[in-house]
Amino acid sequence: MKEKISGLSIKLITSVLLLSVLLCAAISYMGYREFTTVLEDEYNRSAYEIAETAKSYLDPDRLEHYLETGEIDAAYLEIQDRLDALVVSTNSYLIYVTRLSNDYTTSTYIFDAVHPDSGFTRYALGYTAQDMDPAYQDEVEQIMTTGERSAVYFYSYTQASGAHTTAGIPVKDSAGEIVAFLGVEKAMTALENARQTYVWNVMGITVLAVVLFLVVYIGFLRREVVSPILTIAGEARRFAEDNVARLDLLEQIRKKDEIGTLARAIGRMETDIVQYVENLTAVTAEKERIGTELNVATQIQADMLPRIFPPFPERDEFDIYATMTPAREVGGDFYDFFLVDQDHLAVVIADVSGKGVPAALFMVIVKTLIKNHTQTGMAPDQVFETVNRQLCENNEAGMFVTAFLGVLEISTGRFTYVNAGHNPPLAALGGRPYDWLPSKRGFVLAGLEGVRYQQQEIVLCPGDSIFCYTDGVTEALDPADALYSEARLRAFFRGRDLEGRPLAEQLDLLRRDIAAFAAGAEQADDITMLLLRINKTTGRDEHG
Amino acid sequence: MEEIAMTITKTAENGTLRIALEGRLDTNTAPQLETELKTSLSGISELELDFSGLEYISSAGLRVLLAAQKTMSRQGKMTIRNVNETIMEVFEITGFVEILTIV
Repeated sequence: MKEKISGLSIKLITSVLLLSVLLCAAISYMGYREFTTVLEDEYNRSAYEIAETAKSYLDPDRLEHYLETGEIDAAYLEIQDRLDALVVSTNSYLIYVTRLSNDYTTSTYIFDAVHPDSGFTRYALGYTAQDMDPAYQDEVEQIMTTGERSAVYFYSYTQASGAHTTAGIPVKDSAGEIVAFLGVEKAMTALENARQTYVWNVMGITVLAVVLFLVVYIGFLRREVVSPILTIAGEARRFAEDNVARLDLLEQIRKKDEIGTLARAIGRMETDIVQYVENLTAVTAEKERIGTELNVATQIQADMLPRIFPPFPERDEFDIYATMTPAREVGGDFYDFFLVDQDHLAVVIADVSGKGVPAALFMVIVKTLIKNHTQTGMAPDQVFETVNRQLCENNEAGMFVTAFLGVLEISTGRFTYVNAGHNPPLAALGGRPYDWLPSKRGFVLAGLEGVRYQQQEIVLCPGDSIFCYTDGVTEALDPADALYSEARLRAFFRGRDLEGRPLAEQLDLLRRDIAAFAAGAEQADDITMLLLRINKTTGRDEHG
Repeated sequence: MEEIAMTITKTAENGTLRIALEGRLDTNTAPQLETELKTSLSGISELELDFSGLEYISSAGLRVLLAAQKTMSRQGKMTIRNVNETIMEVFEITGFVEILTIV
């Protein structure tokens, strides 16, 4: 696998380089310091040896004489020659013997030997100069009064003479009196070059060591860090694309360090995610299955309601139309109508408590029971009492249903009805405006055992209408949670000119009115409506 | 309706449980009251429901009331207070006025 130097490597290498540069600088500086000290020490010691040698050439007792008389005799010249020879042979700049003033600022030269290559000229006997460096005065005083060597190495660098070191010793006469100061200045020519070479060597070795280290280190980084991390990253990328856990690559990284931990964590994550996705897929499939089944349930429920209009094309004595608009999910509303026999039409509207599959199942039972019993020709109150008893028998869930059942004797218009806790229908009777059909209230079905229901009876004339509905109509909400209400419902039927319009159109108008009222608010409950209109009565019982 | 638009406030003393309801008792909120009653009715001899904050009751709510009424008929009594006009109408239509004690 070919890898480029990654960002991580660059960061690590940069830090190592920085460290190396700092280390190199520190080593060079310390070496430079140490080297300089040792070499200066050596040069200075050598200067002192020269000074001692020079002192041995002198005749201290005569120095005073030379100064006072200025006389240059043969002995003076001989000493001077020897000093000159010494300057050359020891490769010193200067060897001089001076008398210092009491305040050590002024030197009066007695001897002065100068190296021919130094560029200096010899000061003659008796030459006086105020040439003592103020910085050295204390040291010179120390030397002259105690006769000891200075602890400070005179060292200076001048443009003219380069780096040089100075040795200074007192000269005593035979009586032990200090009579003069002997100084030697020696160039440290080797120092500069040697020191430079030394520094370059140190730097060179350090750089070489750093480069070697980096080569090894980069190799190590690649093998131990970058390569495994790239493997992990590649594996993670691959996994993100195809979502298949493949642990073989990750298991190759058998490390006990953090990278190994990371590899194991990624591996575990892959396995977990695959597991999770599998679970999710299963759950989603299950949800879809349930959703499909619920849709089928809704469909079955809808199919249970008579939905072909007109249902009895051959019967012109009445018109009937009904709709159910379910809310979000399968609900518990239903309507029903059927011919009990040729002269009797039964209409039912009901609302099971609650929603969803339990309500739908309960609704199926209720609808079946009511239809079965009604079709035996049983009176409506008897039907409800029987159905109620049967529903109460096994009703652990505590479901109940409000229901209205009416049976119309088609020939006479006699309408017998019973109400089990349901919203009373609206009726338009005898040309009068719509109003609530007077109904004795009875308790809901399946609520309590042994409830008695009382049926009532009216006679419907041609032109009369009865509108049955569930509370989804009157309890439709607008965005401010206000109810559509019975008052609005009655006002709709009274206010609109519905006379003569097809029933389907009337209910459609009502549904639009409710939708306009809701103004986009979600429909919370099923809206179920049934409208029955009497067209004619024969005025006699066909079977009686 | 996404939020549960009903709050239940319970106070119990000496076998009397007072429950004040606020908001709407409908399909969404009825299970909340049902759970509440299921867990707290044992040992209660008097259940008082305060409906002064209740705006609306649906058939799902009626079902919970009916269940509570049945339970309390066995172990004491249940009364409902401060019923507003809308809810009273529902009680009347459904015949619940006959079986509930509304004061």
